[in-house]
Parts: sequence; C-alpha cells; structure tokens
Amino acid sequence: MSEMKEMILDAAERMLKENISKDVVDLLERDDWARGIWALFEETGMFKVAISEEHGGAGGDLEDLLHIVRLTGKYAAPMPYAETTFANYLLEKTNQAIVDKIATYSFKEGFILQNDIISGSLHNVRWARHADYLVARVDSFQGTQIALFDLQKATIEQSNNLASEPRDTIILKEVKPISIAPLSDEQLFYALSIETAFKIALMTGAIEKIYEITVQYSKKREQFGRPIHRFQLVQQHLAQLAGETAIAIAAFHNVCAAIQSKDFLHEIAFARIRIEDAITTITSVAHQIHAAIGMTHEYTLHQYTRRLWSWRDEGRNSPFWSDYIADYLLKQDVDLWAYLTKTIGKK
Amino acid sequence: MFQLPAVQFTEEQEAFRLEVRNFLQAHIKKGTFTPALDSWLSGVDTSFSKLIGEKGWIGLTWPKKYGGQERSTLDRYILTEEFLAAGAPVAAHWFADRQTGPLLLRYGTEEQKQFFLPKIARGECYFAIGLSEPNSGSDLASVRTKAEKVEGGWIVNGQKIWTSNAHVCHYMVALVRTSPYDEKKKHSGLSQLIIDLNAEGVTIVPIKFLSGKYHFNEVFFDNVFVPDNMVVGEIGNGWEQGLAELAFERSGPERILSTYLLLEELIKELKHQKNKDGLKQATKLLAQLWGLRNLSIGVAKLLESGSAEDVAIPASLVKAIGTKFEQSIPEIARLLVETYPNLEAKRKFDRYMAQAILHAPSFTIRGGTTEILYGMVAKGVVEK
Repeated sequence: MSEMKEMILDAAERMLKENISKDVVDLLERDDWARGIWALFEETGMFKVAISEEHGGAGGDLEDLLHIVRLTGKYAAPMPYAETTFANYLLEKTNQAIVDKIATYSFKEGFILQNDIISGSLHNVRWARHADYLVARVDSFQGTQIALFDLQKATIEQSNNLASEPRDTIILKEVKPISIAPLSDEQLFYALSIETAFKIALMTGAIEKIYEITVQYSKKREQFGRPIHRFQLVQQHLAQLAGETAIAIAAFHNVCAAIQSKDFLHEIAFARIRIEDAITTITSVAHQIHAAIGMTHEYTLHQYTRRLWSWRDEGRNSPFWSDYIADYLLKQDVDLWAYLTKTIGKK
Repeated sequence: MFQLPAVQFTEEQEAFRLEVRNFLQAHIKKGTFTPALDSWLSGVDTSFSKLIGEKGWIGLTWPKKYGGQERSTLDRYILTEEFLAAGAPVAAHWFADRQTGPLLLRYGTEEQKQFFLPKIARGECYFAIGLSEPNSGSDLASVRTKAEKVEGGWIVNGQKIWTSNAHVCHYMVALVRTSPYDEKKKHSGLSQLIIDLNAEGVTIVPIKFLSGKYHFNEVFFDNVFVPDNMVVGEIGNGWEQGLAELAFERSGPERILSTYLLLEELIKELKHQKNKDGLKQATKLLAQLWGLRNLSIGVAKLLESGSAEDVAIPASLVKAIGTKFEQSIPEIARLLVETYPNLEAKRKFDRYMAQAILHAPSFTIRGGTTEILYGMVAKGVVEK
C-alpha cells in the first residue's frame, strides 16, 4: 500500500461524490456519459495511477488503482475508468506504448490474424462506442497475441447490459493494429486474474453503496407508527445485509493484500465466488427492505443492483473459478488445511 | 465499520503454525487422541490439556509472571485454529483460556491473578461459564441466582443450566444478582463471582445431550459460601464486565471450524472418486470458509490493538454467519458423497457426518443465538 493512497482516494471520492447525481448516472440511458468527471479525473492524474514513472505514471500501485475502481463502483460512475486503466495496464505489461485517450479491452476469441491483417468480431465489448482504442486478444497460427487498435477503423454495433452500460459488438475487416505483442498462456491467465480483481473492486463498491442506502432507508421509512428497522424481521434482513457486506469488503481487502505477493490466484478465485454469493443475498434483501419504491426508476437503488446483476456475469465468473479450484484440487496432492492456510509444502 | 485489516502472517507466525501442526499430527499418530468434530466443546481430555499446558500453549498471550508467554493475539489465533482443524480434545481448558484468563487480567485482583492464572496455564485448572438459567436464556439479564452479603463473603442460592463441562471444571465464573431484581433496571445489580465447584452446597447434575453424550449440566447452589476475595471486579458491574469479553468469545475460529474435519474428508472423498463436478460445488464451501476467516482474523488483528467495542458488530457477524456455515457443511456434503451417518462408523466420512449432524443444532444457539446476534447487529448498524 503506497503512502499516497489516502490522499488519492480522498480526492477521488470527493470528485465522485460532488459530481455524480442520479441524473448523471442516468446519462447512459440517453447514450451519454459523465464527460465532466472524466475531465476532472484526467486533470488530477487519476489515469496515471499504477503506471510506471518511465511511462509517465503518477506513482501509486495496483492496490491504489483497485481502490479508485472500487469508488467508481460505489458511485456507479458512468465512465470507462476501469476499462481505460486496465487497457493501459495490459499495454504496459506487454511492453506496448500506453494511450492517453479512452480505451477498452477484450479477451474474447474472435479476432484472427492472417497475413499481417486482422479481421473478426467481438461481442459485449465494454464502452466500445465511446472509446478511441481497443486492446484485444488476437489469435493466429503463431499463437495468441495482444494488440492495440484504433477504433475509428472498426464497425460498432451498439448493445447494453442490464444497467444500460455500453456493451457493443466490434467488427474489424482487414485492419492493421497500432501495435501488437505476444501473449503467453501464462500472461493471459495472469491478465484475466487481474481483470477479475478489477471486477471484484467494482462490485465491492456497489455493495458498499447498497448497504448505505438500505440502512438509511430503514431508518427513514415508517410503518405502523415506527421506523421499519425496529421490526425484528426487518432486523434479520439488515443483519444479513451487514454480514454479506462485511464479507465482501474483507474479501476485497484480502485480494488487495495478496496481489502484492506472487501467489494470489486462489485469493481472487475465492473472492469472486464469495462475492457472487453475496450479491444474491444483498440485492434481494436490499430490494425487500425498500419494497415498492426500490423498484421505481426514480429511486437510486436499481442503479447499483442492476450493475451487480450485470457485472457478475462478465469476465471470469464464479463457475470459471470453481472449475479452476476443482481442477487444482484434483490434480495436486494437497492437504486441504495446508492449502487454506497457505502453508503447502512447508514442514 | 467494516474496514477490517487484511492480515498476512509473518514467517515467525508461519513457523509457529507448523510447530503446532507437527506436534498435533505426531500425537494423532501416537494415538494420544482421535480427531473429532466440535472438539473445543465436547472433546474433554484432561491429560491432553496438561500436555498443552506443558508446551506453554494455554494463556499464550498472558504476562509471563502469570504463566503466560506474552505472545500476540494472532499467535493465539493460529494456535486455536490448528487445534480445531486437527480435531484435538481441548474442551477442558478452553473456557478458562478463552474467557476466564482475559477476564481476570482485566478485572481480577492481584491475588486472583497469582492464584488462578498459573494453574490455568499449566492445564490443571478449568472454569465453567455460569450464565444461563432455567428461565434466563437469551434474556440473560433476567438471571435470578442471588448472592446475599454475609460477613466475609456472599451466600449464593439458585441454579445455572446448560453449563458446558461443569462436571470436569474446578470453578465457575457465575453471573449472579447481588441486589434485588428490578424489572426496570435488569442490567444493574449483577456481579461476577468465582464459585468453587467442590464447595459445600454445590450440586452438579449432568444433562444428556441429544446424542446421548454428556457435556452440559445443571448446577445447583444451596447456601454456597463465596468469600469476598472471589468477587471479580466490582460488585454490581457484572453485566459490563461480561460484555467486554464477548468480542473474543464470538469472533474466534471455533465459530467457523466446528465441522471443518467433515469438509476436509469431503474433499478427500471427492478427490478419491475423481468427482470434479462435486469438487466444483464444494468450492463454494471453501470460498465461504475463506471469506469468514478473513473476517475473523481481521477482528483478531483489531483486538490486538484496539478496543473490543470497535469490533463488536463484526465479531457478532463472525458468529452469526460462521455457525450457519458450520451447519451447512453436512447438508451439502451428504448430497455430494453417499453416506450413512453413524457415530461408530469406521469410515471417517460417515462418522464425521454423524458428529456434524448431531452437534449442528447447538452451533447457532450456544454463546448467543443467531436471533439475538442479528438483533444486536441491526441495532448497531442503524446507530452508526
């Protein structure tokens, strides 16, 4: 954890809090987004966090970046912050020049390289219609590579996720990339894991917000002459909400701590599986406590629950990581307790 | 309120973990004990407790002058976690180590500390917790067992119930009423007394658990004399003193790992059967355990530095969620591996399954029911 962390996070949270109202989040539904906050983030160097200094970075580490991503989740910030920073993270890790405009990424198979030109299509690419660049996986007989594309050369078909966030189809016809680099299986897996950590950060942020607004609502709303939090059955919901929130936040902190070390894949796997479980409880309890008002578009709860319902099926999700752990347990002769306490092979 | 630290254990802590683990494994091989589920409550073995005492592993965090080792809360966390994962019979000394020691260190007199703590640390002196009464379960502040002042001490009359392992304990820390019961001020007038369970007027009657085994009791007090020097802390301050220790009681690994051995056996069976689909489903349990450990260890870390009040809510959450997790293991395991639960079964999976099923109802009741915990958590979160 860097010393700058507190400072950066305070600044980021202030900007988000002051500038993101319900109307700003709703911009997405009019095919617009939070350009104003984007500009503020640019001015204050939020895009350079975790970029090395030789590439113009502003200091800060991956953990700092994950915390800012968490905050963008907490305020449902309608801008491609996680996408742009992760695209640059990928470029830097594969020794390609980073970009200073809006970027997005995809790991899906779909782009084929033949005779130095690339064609193909990718579905559900985040924010593609608003992005200038795309960092994407490219397959060929030579193996898997990762390339940077100028999206002006692409055809984009618009589509949205459950939260009205852009998830577009990108079609390339015989395009040359700006740059391209090899991507080993190991690098690919590593990148996918870090991408999962970004998603965990976003989800944790949204969960924090749902917890806050739901507790507040239970204090404000009165029925039978008293605030609803005084009813024992509502208290049971609140306690379950608090429990799942606490577990999600602790999971995120443990991912952040583990990511600084070499061995973090299993932490990410457990965190993603557990948070997806938490989402089931949290979204259902939060809506139940809010009752009818929570189902209206006018109220803000859905801006967070719809995001969670979308994000949980994006990227490497719980089934993928369950498969990963099951495979590991099956193939390795591990003692479960040593595995859980991270003391495998130690005597 | 949920910002708990993520703990990375140090190399020294890891070495300590392995030392404990190797010790326990060696004793399992030697046949010193047979691993069993829920061993922190039902695994009484006084000679094993003495063995642990000799190792210096009771009162690990206490001052050296009272027989402790002055080690950290996290070291103790590691130690207890290893006991539980190995299914070691640590029930005899568990409550004295977990509750009585810290209570006396905080509120006890110098005489009490010098008299009790070294004996507890040697694994020779066990304490029962005297809270519940026939008409005071979740409504603990309504306890009626009373102590009346006489010259040189107190005369206790009344009854405690559901007292775990009282039949092997030497003393009880009992919550008793030292001023008359007042419906409007239930929490005042309560005090904590150390009662010698061998004293005249004490009768211990075992209550058979539903499995047919004994580990809890009724304890009757008929004009039992308790000398003044056996009062813990201040007269009338029993409620506050008792509450202070709850974070330790509720957030420990024993609220997560009571059925761990069954989970371990489940994974072994699934691996043996090369059942990948089963393993995939079981990863949900592993992720739950991972998530709970983060919370529980985070609370332990905060307890090391901060006050117990800061962690009261997360500590209650560890117990509320952890005990439900403990209960869920047999329910999920039986769907993944064929079993016929039997306490006498040779196959570990069937035996652990039987132990888990029969002990499961107690997890969400003992030490504060889930309903009481939910109520506390809900009240806590709306106050913040």
